[in-house]
Amino acid sequence: MGVFVFLPLVLPLTAWPIARLAEQRLHPKAATWLLTGVTAVFAVCSTLCLALLMVVGTAQLPGNPLPDGWSDPEVREAVPYEEVAGRAAIPALIAVLAACTCAAWQHHRVRRRAANALAGLPATSVAVLPDPTPYAYALPGRRDRIVVTTGMLAGLKPSERRALFAHERVHLARRHHRFLLTVQLAARANPFLRPLRTAVAYTAERWADEEAAAAVGSRHTMARAIGKSALLSRGAPLATLAHFAAAAGPVPRRVAALLGPAPAGANWPPVFTTVGLATWGAAAGTTVSALSSANSTVTLILILRAATPM
Amino acid sequence: MTDQNKGGADQHPRRRGQGELEGQVLAVLRQAPKAVTAAWVQDRLSGDLAYTTVMTILTRLHAKDAVARQRVGRSFEWTPVADEAGLAALRMRRVLDAETDRGAVLASFVTVLSPTDERLLRDLLVQAPGEEEDR
Repeated sequence: MGVFVFLPLVLPLTAWPIARLAEQRLHPKAATWLLTGVTAVFAVCSTLCLALLMVVGTAQLPGNPLPDGWSDPEVREAVPYEEVAGRAAIPALIAVLAACTCAAWQHHRVRRRAANALAGLPATSVAVLPDPTPYAYALPGRRDRIVVTTGMLAGLKPSERRALFAHERVHLARRHHRFLLTVQLAARANPFLRPLRTAVAYTAERWADEEAAAAVGSRHTMARAIGKSALLSRGAPLATLAHFAAAAGPVPRRVAALLGPAPAGANWPPVFTTVGLATWGAAAGTTVSALSSANSTVTLILILRAATPM
Repeated sequence: MTDQNKGGADQHPRRRGQGELEGQVLAVLRQAPKAVTAAWVQDRLSGDLAYTTVMTILTRLHAKDAVARQRVGRSFEWTPVADEAGLAALRMRRVLDAETDRGAVLASFVTVLSPTDERLLRDLLVQAPGEEEDR
């Protein structure tokens, strides 16, 4: 056990290089799958180790529910007797569980409310709402729907509208909300995973852009549709965090990517490139994370077995 | 996905949601020849809804600016303002305005631009050829 129980808490740092590089160097589809998978494994391992630390931590509390044998000196020797870490793990785990529950609940509440808002309308796959505010959303649910306002459609040419619908259809068909929910929960479970959440949100958009561009047959049209709708939405009362960074936001990067050459089809980069090394770094980090948490779990179970007359 | 649509589309024995009731009340109101009372609406609604329920829904629609009312004697008479799509738009705006972090939930087509982004984007669109591609 020892140091292994702490490793999964910080190993998500090994995925930061790939989070930065994947969005530029990998095909968006491959990047989304890779980053989401890596993020999910890191989050599970990190939470598991937090739970193990909590078990160690509770052993120090008077009146803990663990068997009496747990307090024997020999057992104390065997488990890492990290007083501070053990005790800190208790509120940390509670905070993680609360944050994840909250995020999952919010996700379902928005989806339910949005579905209720459209309840009176005919069951079409596209709901056009008479609203001058330009916005467009893909709304997954029992009945997948695209919600778009007349304000948005009015600002686009027919070919650009087709591109917009194609983009939202890819979101729905590829179930992008599941990727987004996964990384949302993971980012709540371990703050080191936040850059991966941002990266997946971006690569999922790029994936939809590229697949929609292929469907409408023009990457330029797709680029113009994105650019024009972003400029249309500019004045809309959309509450978001203010942008402080001077670096280009996601929309210009998406447009620039579509105006550039199409991403290569290769799904797995060669080893001896920057992105290849970053990928293997993240893969190694994930493996170590999984092994460490497995090691710690087995150790703790063995100690529990030995310490209690079960 | 098509399976899901088939399965989920018309199973209506479940409890009717708030949104659905509002839509039905508005639809009845839109069929009315003139301003009508809540009792008139209640008579024409399918299912036996209580008078108070109808009043609650009408009041809620009024709060959303989807219906107008004027006092006649001791009660109100109601007229529709929005149609069902308009009502859905109002409700959707409420949902979106209530969620500060909705970007986290719904995949929006575009996100909000910073001034830098806006300038970059305009430059990119100027460079982008392809007006002639439009069919």
